[in-house]
Amino acid sequence: MSTLQAQRRGAGLTFRQKLSNFDYKFSPYLYISPFFILFALLGLFPIIYTVNVSLYNWDLLKGQGDFIGLQNYATTLSDPMFWNAFGNTFSIFLLSAVPQLVMATIIAAVLDQAIRASTFWRMSVLLPYIAAPVAVAVIFTQIFNQFGGPITGLLHVFGLEPIKWGYDVFPSHIAIATMVNWRWTGYNALILLAAMQAIPRDVYESAALDGAGRIRRFWSITIPMIRPTMIFVIITATIGGLQIFTEPKLFDGQSNGGSNRQFQTIVLYLYEMAFPRRDFGRAAATAWILFLIIILIGLINYGISRTIASQDIKKNVRVPVAGTRRTIGGRK
Amino acid sequence: MKFSRRTATVAVVAGTASLALVLSGCSTDGGNGGNSDEPITLTITTFGTMGIDANYAAYEKAHPNVKIEATNLENGGAARDDAYAKIAAGTGLSDVVAIEEGWLSTIAEVSNAFVDLRDYGIEDHKSDWLDWKYAQGTDADGRVFAAGLDIGPQGLCFRGDLLEKAGLPGDRDGFAEAIGGENATWESFFEFGQKYTAATGKPFYHNPSFFFNSFVNQQAEGYYKKDGTTLNVKDNAALKGQLDLIVKNANIGAGLDAWGVAEQAKADDFAVYVCPSWMLGVVKGYYDQGTTGTGWDFADVLPGGAANWGGSFLGVSESSEHKEAAADLALWLAEPEQQAAAFEAAGPFPSTLKGQELVKSATDAFFNDAPTGEIFANRSKGVVAQVKGPEDSNIQDNVFGPVLTDIGQGKYTNGDDAWAAAMTLFDQLIKQ
Repeated sequence: MSTLQAQRRGAGLTFRQKLSNFDYKFSPYLYISPFFILFALLGLFPIIYTVNVSLYNWDLLKGQGDFIGLQNYATTLSDPMFWNAFGNTFSIFLLSAVPQLVMATIIAAVLDQAIRASTFWRMSVLLPYIAAPVAVAVIFTQIFNQFGGPITGLLHVFGLEPIKWGYDVFPSHIAIATMVNWRWTGYNALILLAAMQAIPRDVYESAALDGAGRIRRFWSITIPMIRPTMIFVIITATIGGLQIFTEPKLFDGQSNGGSNRQFQTIVLYLYEMAFPRRDFGRAAATAWILFLIIILIGLINYGISRTIASQDIKKNVRVPVAGTRRTIGGRK
Repeated sequence: MKFSRRTATVAVVAGTASLALVLSGCSTDGGNGGNSDEPITLTITTFGTMGIDANYAAYEKAHPNVKIEATNLENGGAARDDAYAKIAAGTGLSDVVAIEEGWLSTIAEVSNAFVDLRDYGIEDHKSDWLDWKYAQGTDADGRVFAAGLDIGPQGLCFRGDLLEKAGLPGDRDGFAEAIGGENATWESFFEFGQKYTAATGKPFYHNPSFFFNSFVNQQAEGYYKKDGTTLNVKDNAALKGQLDLIVKNANIGAGLDAWGVAEQAKADDFAVYVCPSWMLGVVKGYYDQGTTGTGWDFADVLPGGAANWGGSFLGVSESSEHKEAAADLALWLAEPEQQAAAFEAAGPFPSTLKGQELVKSATDAFFNDAPTGEIFANRSKGVVAQVKGPEDSNIQDNVFGPVLTDIGQGKYTNGDDAWAAAMTLFDQLIKQ
């Protein structure tokens, strides 16, 4: 008690007590500081430096040139090849994110049931995530080889013409989206599974007693209850999906996204700007444009996923809210 | 398309070389305590199948204090991106860096990232090299930043067996004569191809891009005027004429990728391949190591006259900690004897006169024992180095590359449309 009083007065503390005080107040910050220091060095500084680069005429090899303000942004936004990359990115993103999340949710729901050897199944869905993306890309590039790949062989059995995976726009997007899905579906499934496991079982039991079937329980209990995790998964999938690079780069190693930019994504466009074309200023501007696009899409996603996930519990939530409003109104 | 050359073919050579490195590394560590020279490690970055890896062990043997750490990148494009990134960062270049002709002119603009080899005595051997090769490695200020390694004189690889089946001459001289011999033109070449396709119903060539690249290299001025800065693409009737010709003959093409066509080569899907010296290794790489009797042969002919395609150089980076030793290694690798050894190993033709002399009697078992040394010596006669500009490889890869791919896929029936598409890309991509 006397110590407490001493602390309140803020005087007469021994060194040990001061140290203990300091420990109490600042240690948590020290513990988390390595991340922030590293982030400042490796994340924040490059981000800010990129703004600087984007405002100059900046040749990769010759270095900084004249200050040109926002011209790099204007040139990039008026470049049809940027918009081509933009379209490709979204096409591949939608082709991957949507089936990926649907599949991940279904797999998670299945794994959430009482099945035999559950650890084995959980490990299995994560295996594709462990494989290096480069290796995955190399293997899938073989599978989607127009000339003599297994899919071409299969089509041939049915007397069908080979699909030009590396040349036609839409097939190339499907091929790349398949690589992305292969890698990320299991990962997302495990995250969703963790959320599902946290749902109290008695909720299901009482729903079952009330006569709700499996499907009904899934839609009315599981989906609403994993909403925060769902939002997290959707947002990380968005960030990853819009930054896709390895798969399209390796799908045709000779080019930057196909002979005709059939599957050039925004990051590949950025890469082409920075390295083969050596226009570092425009590459930096592209990076910032991509950053803003991701934030925008992230916000839209957040909005949509809130709406979707909360539809089924609207009534439960909205009624008390409405009640509160009335109360407030009554007070007036 | 792409200037990138020598796709991964030399795995075995590289594997053997690295094994040799390991072995020789061990022996030097063990047995040369008496050498007064400080032990150093030199790094070298090469690409594709340059054949010089075979020389490292010999150098290490002669210089027991030196250990060579070699990195081989898949192709010239990868080496370009790697070198650019490291020059931009101002750090990270290996001591010795292989540079490809296609992006040499870009490097020349920032040649101070590389040492002036005149400080290490390259001028004493200037007369070893073909004049134009030596000149290519010299920048505007007269600094020699790159030592010439190999050149890419071009002949035609062809499938003698398939031509014979089609009732056409399938021997080396007969084939060369049939497409016009010394006076072969691209027109006469395509006429021959039409006969082949008419007789067999099979495509004659795999992809048209090499024909366009070769044609560009045959011109006195390519994508740039002689000054190296004025673009020479718009209203270039010669280039348009070649594009027209290629569109007209798209019917005898297989519509394949320009590179990596091993399966189709084995399936007899095409009968001819434009072969600069370093391409021999690429074609061989489509088959298992040591394969012969595939029907491939190599003829002393190129439609449209002599041309050089590609070739590589070695530079020593200014950031190297062992410039003197690195320069010694680079200049040694560029010596005629080592150029000849690289030719034996992988096929790139020496850029030194004496090196060419050394390989004069070389033959190649894969190509039906064709006298490759003699043929390349003939094919390099009359080659005039073309002035390349900073956007050369960009124009090649991103302006004409996509259009040529589309032609291969049968997208254009009319040369004007193809040209218009190329010019649209040109306006979008190239700062004028």
